[in-house]
Amino acid sequence: MTNLFVRFLVGGLAMLAAIGYKNYRELSAPGKRPELDNNAYWGPELSKQNYKENKAILPYDISVNPEVIADLKSQLSRPLKLQAPLEGVGFEYGFNANELQKVVKYWRDTYLTKWGEREKYLKKLDHYQTEIQGLKIHFIHAKPSKEAIKKGKKVLPLLLLHGWPGTVREFYDFIPLLTAGSDKSNYVFEVIAPSLPGYGWSQGSSKTGFGVAQVAVVLRNLMVRLGFDKFVVQGGDWGSLIGSNVASLFPENVLGYHSNMCANNSPMGSLKLMLSFVFRSWFVDEQNAHFYKGFGGIFSFLMEEMGYAHIQASKPDTIGNALIDNPIGLASYIGEKFSTWTNPAFKTLPDGGLTKRFTYDQLLDNIMIYYVTNSITTSMRLYSESMSKAQFALAVDSLPITAKTGCTRFAYELLHVPDGVLTNKFPNLVHSTHQQDGGHFPAFELPQQLYEDFTAFVQKAEL
Amino acid sequence: MKCLIIFGLIVAVFGAFVGYGYLVFTELTRPLPKPEISDNTYWGPGDGKDYVPDKRINEFRLSVPQAEIEDLRQQLNRTLRLTDPLDGISFEYGFNSHALEQFVDYWREKYLTKWDERQEFFNKFKQYTTEIQGLNIHFIREKASEEAAAKKHVYPLLLLHGWPGSVREFYDIIPMLTNDQNVTDYAFEVVAPSLVGYGWSDAASRPGFNAAEMATVMRNLMLRLGHKKFFIQGGDWGSIIGSNLATLYPENVIGYHSNMCVLNSPLAILKGIYGTYFSEKIIPSRFFYDHHFPVWDKYAELLQESGYFHIQATKPDTIGAALTTSPVGLAAYILEKFQTCTNPGVKQDFGAIVTVFGLEPVLDNLMVYYLTNSITTAVRFYAENVSKAYTNLQLDRVPTPVPMGCSRFRYDLPSVTDWQLRDKFPNLKHSMYFQQGSHFAALEMPAMLYQDFTAFVGKIGLHGADSCDYKA
Repeated sequence: MTNLFVRFLVGGLAMLAAIGYKNYRELSAPGKRPELDNNAYWGPELSKQNYKENKAILPYDISVNPEVIADLKSQLSRPLKLQAPLEGVGFEYGFNANELQKVVKYWRDTYLTKWGEREKYLKKLDHYQTEIQGLKIHFIHAKPSKEAIKKGKKVLPLLLLHGWPGTVREFYDFIPLLTAGSDKSNYVFEVIAPSLPGYGWSQGSSKTGFGVAQVAVVLRNLMVRLGFDKFVVQGGDWGSLIGSNVASLFPENVLGYHSNMCANNSPMGSLKLMLSFVFRSWFVDEQNAHFYKGFGGIFSFLMEEMGYAHIQASKPDTIGNALIDNPIGLASYIGEKFSTWTNPAFKTLPDGGLTKRFTYDQLLDNIMIYYVTNSITTSMRLYSESMSKAQFALAVDSLPITAKTGCTRFAYELLHVPDGVLTNKFPNLVHSTHQQDGGHFPAFELPQQLYEDFTAFVQKAEL
Repeated sequence: MKCLIIFGLIVAVFGAFVGYGYLVFTELTRPLPKPEISDNTYWGPGDGKDYVPDKRINEFRLSVPQAEIEDLRQQLNRTLRLTDPLDGISFEYGFNSHALEQFVDYWREKYLTKWDERQEFFNKFKQYTTEIQGLNIHFIREKASEEAAAKKHVYPLLLLHGWPGSVREFYDIIPMLTNDQNVTDYAFEVVAPSLVGYGWSDAASRPGFNAAEMATVMRNLMLRLGHKKFFIQGGDWGSIIGSNLATLYPENVIGYHSNMCVLNSPLAILKGIYGTYFSEKIIPSRFFYDHHFPVWDKYAELLQESGYFHIQATKPDTIGAALTTSPVGLAAYILEKFQTCTNPGVKQDFGAIVTVFGLEPVLDNLMVYYLTNSITTAVRFYAENVSKAYTNLQLDRVPTPVPMGCSRFRYDLPSVTDWQLRDKFPNLKHSMYFQQGSHFAALEMPAMLYQDFTAFVGKIGLHGADSCDYKA
């Protein structure tokens, strides 16, 4: 009797172990690179028949039609009928109407009055546009300084990627650091900072199916068009995910990948994330524990902060149509993120702490880019296209990045994932740091700190 | 011997597990007693220390200054730079830009040109305002017609709208309710308020005004009008508010009818999962399976459609500001709900809203939000109802003896089965399945909703009993 029972027990456990091991092997095996058309056409249907890609790389004039500014000013001059915030509330219910009123006033009476200055400032970096796969792609091209070249610094091309609701504007203090170089580093960078397709001055796709993987193809093709066969990639937010896609899909082109929002969305990564909630000490050390939320923290974050992503992933045209031609709406919708994502504690402040880390000019520059380029709808479609069954089926998340990678984590970022969870996606993680300050927009908020970490990675990785 | 001990241990552990599971299960699913909430909380501005309630009932007539209509026309005349939909896409990504352009054109060129007519139409029912708990409440109050009063039993009826609806949804059903109709022995004095924070009603000035507080204000409104006992009918938030009213103030409610019978108690959810696999045990006919099951499909659909809910429940002031400053934006956002709540066969069609609702009713409804500037305060209601203060009340687990009637329209948000409803409404008198119709039942098929509501009323057994006690 005992014998039989023990045999069943042992046999059963052995079977479970075998199934578990097989699944684990499957889960942790690197994925297969999906078939992607490097020449897919994303432009309007009409042009498709006789489409011949215009490979010219032309300087791009970002000047805004004065009529647009005049119309904006008159829109901002309309009587504002916002509902007063509830008593005792800061930003807990979203963008506080009293603060929004202040922003609108500043925008109208101060910012627009000196728009000429702002436009000149935006032009201080060189803007270009070229056509990739039917889409006109805008980018900033910043060459390394002469001094840095004279000093014999090694020049690396860098693909610098912004996210939502950001723009290339986030990089205006970061890029000069990258091109000037420093004594701490043997490297200096030639920076290509595109507007993501559908953002800023880059055209959005006319076809469905244009998700992160497809964006990665376009941006890699941009680099190749510009003569950069091998380059480094840096990004946060969507820039981090797109950059990760570029590095995964085109290992032959990517020298190194650095992100301030490293993520592992493969099945193994998700499993390990779950594990890290239960066996926290296996993944997280005492010193940096506060960087990593537990299950409860992540759940409440998802509920509290992801409403925008939910509506953008399901009804981008509705919310896009609500915000296009709606400057105050844009200020509210986009501005809210620069408060809460810089530091969640700012939610309790009546002004959302907006000016603690940014100036109104900085914030309005960024919002203006969305407004004058009319790109809010196409920017939101990245959410719906990237969170689709078709995109998940590509399983790019399961493709490891073979190049050297570096991850840095800023203290008030939305979500961090411990190194232990990243391993199957970043098998070549050579650099991992924690910054005791800063939020979701570090290039914008703390450019010096991000620069130092990025070059430390490049130095360490001997790219 | 050893074998027996090991076996015994395993059974004991297993038993402990099962026992614990049972305890957790009963704790999660047992009915709860009615929570105590104050029926006199002040919700006006400030702390209300010196608040003296104003009990007057004032007449209300809509009279929009022409300048406002002109200003709206100008705003609708701005050159739109809407992004084209993706190739081959209708409304799968949200409200179609080309459709939006067409609506805006109609709104500006045709609708606003006959605004005086529309305003007349709005005013066709008698409307009033009165102050309840510091809030000015707007409501329609239509008495039963003379013929109806002479021949029928007349009862007061509280009619509750939701989001993004308004009292406008009831303009076809109100005359049915107040008039002498062949299909029923009953007629009604209809009270149809604008919810607090909606339409021409005030909004609360501080956090905490949730669906339980709303139920209290509405009940107090009825008391103010001399109705100690009344019927309730509602869909969307109106259904939830009505359910709360029937739960918190059962002594005031003769009967409660809903066209969106949702229930989210743990027990209801568990029963829903069970029902997915054993539906034949709990629904009256296999033809009604699609109304409820499979729950996984329903959750997936809800996920696709609930982005608005998520953002309104967490950042109402952000989205509110955006929709306040742009009538075109407001149109896109609200029209999307009317487009979706048609039926799967037509909801990708450009003509769906026109066919199912007509343009005037939908634009009338949109004008309510626009003219009253109430979109922000309206969406704040979502945030208040996901707050801990409200969810801790667990009202879905509190049974009420009030007679209940439920009508289920095929394409509305998924409802629960009678088996689930009875846990909260043991006195479920009437349950109906419609194989057509959607979320805005009063607007889309008022006659069917009216028939169903009066059928429910007929089943309560009031006929002949105590009718003298009711003041109409």
